[in-house]
Order: sequence, then C-alpha cells, then structure tokens
Amino acid sequence: MIEIHGLSFRYAGSDRDALQNIELTVPDGDFLGIIGPSGAGKTTLIHSVCGLVPHRRGGDFYGSVTVDGMDTVDAELTDLARVVGTVLQDVDSQMVAANVDDELRFGLENFGAPKDEIEERIVEALRAAGIEDLRDRVIGSLSGGQKQRVAIAAILALRPKILLLDEPTGELDPAVSEQIFRILREMNERFGMTVIVVEQKIMLLSSYAKTLAVLNDGQLEVAGPVREVLKESRRLEEIGVNCPRVVTLSRHIEDLTSGAIAATVEEAEAMVREVLR
Amino acid sequence: MTGFLDYVPGSSVLHRLDPLTKLVLSLCVCISAFLTDNLIFLLVLVGMDLLLGVLGGVFQKALRLLSGLLKLSVFLFLLQVLFVRSGAVLFEYGILKITLDGLFVGARLVLRLTAATLPLQLLLSVTQLSDLSGVLVQRLFVPYKYAFTLTTAIRFIPVFAAEMSGIMEAQTARGVEFDTKNPVKKIGLLLPLCAPLLISSVGKIHESAAAAELRGFTLRTRASQSKRYAFIPADYAFLVFSLLLIAAGILF
Amino acid sequence: MIEFQNVFLRYGSGAAAVHDLSFTIPDGAFVAVIGANGAGKTTAAKLMRGLLKPTDGQVLIDGTATTALRTSELAKRIGFLFQNPDRQLCKPTVREELAFGLELLSVPGDEIQKRVDAVLEDFHFDPERSPFALSRGERQRLALASLIAVEPKTLILDEPTTGLDYRECMAVLGRVKALHEAGTTVVMVCHDMELVLDFAERVLVFSAGRLLLDGETRKVFRDTETLPKASVLPPQITRLSQRLADVLPPADTVEEMEAAIRERKGAKA
Repeated sequence: MIEIHGLSFRYAGSDRDALQNIELTVPDGDFLGIIGPSGAGKTTLIHSVCGLVPHRRGGDFYGSVTVDGMDTVDAELTDLARVVGTVLQDVDSQMVAANVDDELRFGLENFGAPKDEIEERIVEALRAAGIEDLRDRVIGSLSGGQKQRVAIAAILALRPKILLLDEPTGELDPAVSEQIFRILREMNERFGMTVIVVEQKIMLLSSYAKTLAVLNDGQLEVAGPVREVLKESRRLEEIGVNCPRVVTLSRHIEDLTSGAIAATVEEAEAMVREVLR
Repeated sequence: MTGFLDYVPGSSVLHRLDPLTKLVLSLCVCISAFLTDNLIFLLVLVGMDLLLGVLGGVFQKALRLLSGLLKLSVFLFLLQVLFVRSGAVLFEYGILKITLDGLFVGARLVLRLTAATLPLQLLLSVTQLSDLSGVLVQRLFVPYKYAFTLTTAIRFIPVFAAEMSGIMEAQTARGVEFDTKNPVKKIGLLLPLCAPLLISSVGKIHESAAAAELRGFTLRTRASQSKRYAFIPADYAFLVFSLLLIAAGILF
Repeated sequence: MIEFQNVFLRYGSGAAAVHDLSFTIPDGAFVAVIGANGAGKTTAAKLMRGLLKPTDGQVLIDGTATTALRTSELAKRIGFLFQNPDRQLCKPTVREELAFGLELLSVPGDEIQKRVDAVLEDFHFDPERSPFALSRGERQRLALASLIAVEPKTLILDEPTTGLDYRECMAVLGRVKALHEAGTTVVMVCHDMELVLDFAERVLVFSAGRLLLDGETRKVFRDTETLPKASVLPPQITRLSQRLADVLPPADTVEEMEAAIRERKGAKA
C-alpha cells in the first residue's frame, strides 16, 4: 500500500511547487493511471513514490510518502527499489547492458538473487513480457516497442510488489501500446502486482486502469474509480485532458441513459442498444 | 545496421576465447606497434589484424574502419612528409621539401596508428561489453564503478552519434548546408549544435544514473557477477602468441 | 505538388525500407500518413522533404527531382516539423531562433525583422526567453513558428503531437489547420486516429514499407478488411458505428452518432 499525505515538493532553483498538498492512497492490487497536462507534476509524483524525489532530485519536500510501511525519506533508495520497480521515461538511457540477457541479469545480480534462481527468473520475466525470442539479441538492434518490453522485463525479474511506469507508450503506435498495457494487466490480475502508470493516452487508461488520478498544476484535481472520474469529463476537458469519444457521446445522450458512462467501444455498443430497444 | 564499435554475434574461436585473453592480445598488438620502428613488422601487424578479422568473421567491418582511417592517414602522412626537413632530399620546390626521412616517419606513423586501432575494434566486435567489464572486475580486481563507467561510455557512443545525426538532419531541414565541400565552413556550422547535443546528453546521463541506481547498482560487489569465465586450450596459445608479439616488437 | 514515382529506399544492403511507392499529393491537400511503428511512414516523409534520397525511382517537387534541388531551395519550399523539437532548436533566444531559418535562406534583414515580429505577435512568445527554458509543448510550438516564418508552401509534420498534452496538441494543430485553410499543403504522420479523422482529408496507410491504402479519410477508416493488416484501429465512433450497422446508419463523429440515435429513437416512439 502507498500512502501519500500532504505532499508538496519544489525543485531546487524553481519558483513554483511541482506538487502541492497531494493526498492519495493506493491500495495493494490497484491499477492506477495518472493523467494530466504537461507540467502538472506527473513525473514528480512517480519519482516521489520510488524515492528519486527527494533522494536524488533536490528540493523542498513537505508531507510524507509511505510505501509498504517504509517512509520514503528515511528509507534507503535501494531498499525502496526492492519493493518498487520503476521504468523511467527515456527507455534508451536506462539500458545498462549490451544484450537482453545481461540487461535482465544486472538487477538480479545487484540485489543478490540466489545464483540458482537467476536463470528461472530471467525466463519467467521474458515470458511475462512476451519476448522469450529476444533473449540473445543486441539491444541496439531492437525496435522501440521491443526495448520498452525489455525495460519492463528487467524490472519484472526483480519481482517487485509495485510497478511504476512513466509514459511507457510515449513513442509507440496504438497496437504496440495495447500490447504493453496487456502485459501490465496480466501482472496486475494474475500476480496482484500494484501498477501505477503515467499515460497521456486516455483511451488506454479507460480500458485498462481500475482507478484514475488527474493532476493539474501540481494539484490532485480528481481521483477515483475510472468511471467516476470520466463522469467529470467536462472538468477534465477544461484543464486540458481529452476524454475518449465514447465518453463524450455518453454525455451527449445522458438524457436517454440516466447518466451512464461508457468507457470503451464495447460498453458504448451495449449502451446504445439498450437505448434503442 | 551495426555501428563500427558494435558487438557482432558469432561462434568463431575468437568469440569463444576468454575475454581476458582477447583483452591481453589486443593490448599486446598495440604495445608491440608502439615498440617497433620497423616498417615491415608494422605491415605484418596490420596484416595480422586483418587475418584476425577473418578469423572472427568481422573482416568486412575491419575493412570499413580501414577505409574510414584512410582520410586521416593521408592527412597525417602529408603533414609529416611536409614538416620533416632532415634526411636525403628527394624533391624540392620553393619552401616545399620532401625528404626520405619524411616519407619514413609518415609511413611509420600511419601504419602504427592503423595497427593499434584495428585490434581495439576487433576486441569490441567479438567480445560483449558486459563480459569485458566482467573480467575486469572478476579477474583484474578493477572496482565495478570504473568498469561500468568504461562500458557505459562505449555504449553511449552510438547513442550520441545517433543524436548528433538527428540534430544535423533537423538543421538540414531548416536549410543549414552540411553538404558543403568546405571543411572550415562545415565546422563553423557544426559548432552551434553543441548546445542541443550537450543538453540532451546531460539529460540522458542523468536518467541513466537514476535508472541504474533504482536497479541496485550501488549494492553491486565483485561477487555479484553470476557469469564465470574459464580458459580453454586456445586461450593459452593466444596468450603465448601475445607475449611473442611483445618480444618481436622489442627485437625489431 | 509532391510526386512519388516508383520510389524504393534501401538502407545498406538490407531489405527495402520503402518499396515501390507511387502517389501524388496535390497543392492545398491535407494528407495523413498512418501505419504501425516501422511501417515506413517517417522514411516516406523524409523522402518527400529530400532529407533522404531514393535508391530507385524519383520524388518530384513541383516537377523537379529532390536530388536536383539544393538544401536551401528545399528548405524554402517545404517545412519539416520533427517529432523532437529539441533537435531543431539551437539559438539562445526565441527571437534568434525565429530569425535563424530566414538568415539561412539569405532573406534581407528588414524582411527578417518584419516576419519575426509578425510570428512573435501571432504566437505570443516572449522574444528574449531561452528556447530551452520553455516547456516541451511550447518548444514544439516554437519549432513550428520558426518554420512558419519561412512561409513554405508545404508543411510536413512527423508525429507532431508526441509528448504533448491535449491542449498543446490542439494549439499546434489549430495553427496547422489555419495554415491549410490559407492554402498550405500539409502532410502529417500521425498515430492518433481521432486527430486524423478531425483534420485530414486524405489518408495514406503504410504497412511494411508499402503503400497499402490511399483514399478519402472516412472511406479508409471504413475499410475493415485492409486496416487490420496495417495494425490500424479506426477512431472510436467509427468502430462503434460499424458494430451498430444493423440498427443505425454510418456515423464518424459524436454529433453524427447522437443525431442518428435520436432519429432512430424518435422514429420508434
């Protein structure tokens, strides 16, 4: 469980708060999507959970972030890393090895995974990310989507309880983006891993996440179950967050549906058929 | 498409050698090239580099580097030929003077450069970076931080090169004429691009360091490495050969 | 006008990055280029701009092959907005950044001043700020502004909305739309099908380096047979409309769909 109380953070040298008085609780097994306009504090929030803020990004930190019982300010960065696996935004610069096998081995060796377990955990992580066939490939020869899966597999091999991802589909096409989210859903549903993902593509979050947190200008604008948050679509559009077209459609015909919100095309189909019956 | 420093997967005898042997061999070729003054021996060394390239299945790549070095070699050669004034004069016109010594010095420099550069490329072509840092840490007791810095620097070369060509392309699109034939003008055009390159590089290095730390980099010790390296019979043969090269370098 | 005549491009000795492309983009068009990562969209866009030269066939700009045009000549005719604005920006202030492209094309000093001022006013930039101190979305707008200052006849945008939030995205595309209405030809490589539907008149669908489909935007999105081959998922309302084809007439926008539902409901009541 992650508990964030009264969190405010201002980067050293900045004249405004990147985060302002954030109150947020993420229960175990949640799949949380974080969305908001540029500069809203999404990355800062992710970094506060994995400990990069304030350990490696200096500034004024107020309030508290507790991850699995550990206060992130008191705990060592590496102790947090045993619980929280983080995939940062720029996938190229987080690769440490020249080939896929070594990339996965790196974290396992560092955290002292038993030597006889390493092979099994590498195979398991590659399978979970759907890239068993890439094991012996040179990283420079992989496509963007493949690299992203390697980055995820390298974290999955560490078997974290919580998985953080910062815009994992930023440069990927819609089909590959879906594949990435399917991996995340699998980890969330089958292994009960808590997943927190910053994402601009609201359509993906609407179909895969369980809860949504909307940040705006350093503040938590609204948070809750996906459908509840999507009901606020007008407010979201005001702050610059797009909504899926089916949500807009639901709003346009709310007089016919008693206010139901369809988050996906499948739900919209059922809703319209109901209306026309 | 592989860069000239990238690892080329394979199963040749060079690929199977212990990384330590390959490191020793390539260093010995370099040292030998600097010890000797004999043009013929230097030629033999270059030939041997190419032969090793064939053995490792990376001959094409070695040739590409060789042709890349050609421009620089011609430049260096001319420089030496024009500036060395001692020795028997072969040709004289105004202040222009070409001497036998000049030709020798120029040839020696160029061959030495070639003989010493090729083995390093060869080493990286047939050895994975992680194995290289692995033996440095495990067998040569180099602290992991230094080995990691070295391999990261090598790994980032193609990343920065890609960034640079991306920046050049973007500037070309605005009308900057990089296709100019004038090298001075070209350098003048390239200089202002250092700012965007530096900014993106610093950002990448920052993120890279954070990512490594989140994956337990600071916990790593010499014992962390799970791969073990061992000599095969061919290793001993290549090690003896390396020592012979040094001896030959001193002799000739 | 941009014309592709049996264009091939191979990188090194490998397979063709684009394969036998033939199509024409007339003046004043708004064309979207879509397809999966690695399908050859960006390669095609760079070929249009002459940043890449075809291995075989030719790319003609107003009848002249890109291989025969000088860098500055190409820059004058076609503006290219990259996915990553940071590679484009290199000057210490916004004003110098805007002037740079014009200086490169040897536009006279007073004309530069005039055009830069016009663009500054239009985009509401602070001329003395450093481009690197701006947010990502602002930098993308600045990169676009510096292209607009050159007044090219054609604009090519390579995934202009990557990394931008919805509002920034609309700011950039709103500007592009206005330019198009004023007569500029626009070619946009894009992953967001909702945007493609809203802005593009015509769509080129790429798959594995080949041109798979070429047609009017709404027609292309209704080609349920071919689109999956290019891993393209049509916009939401179009998909919804296809699922409801047995009860409702075709609709592609929220408004059309709403009207169709109300009409049908009214007819029943």
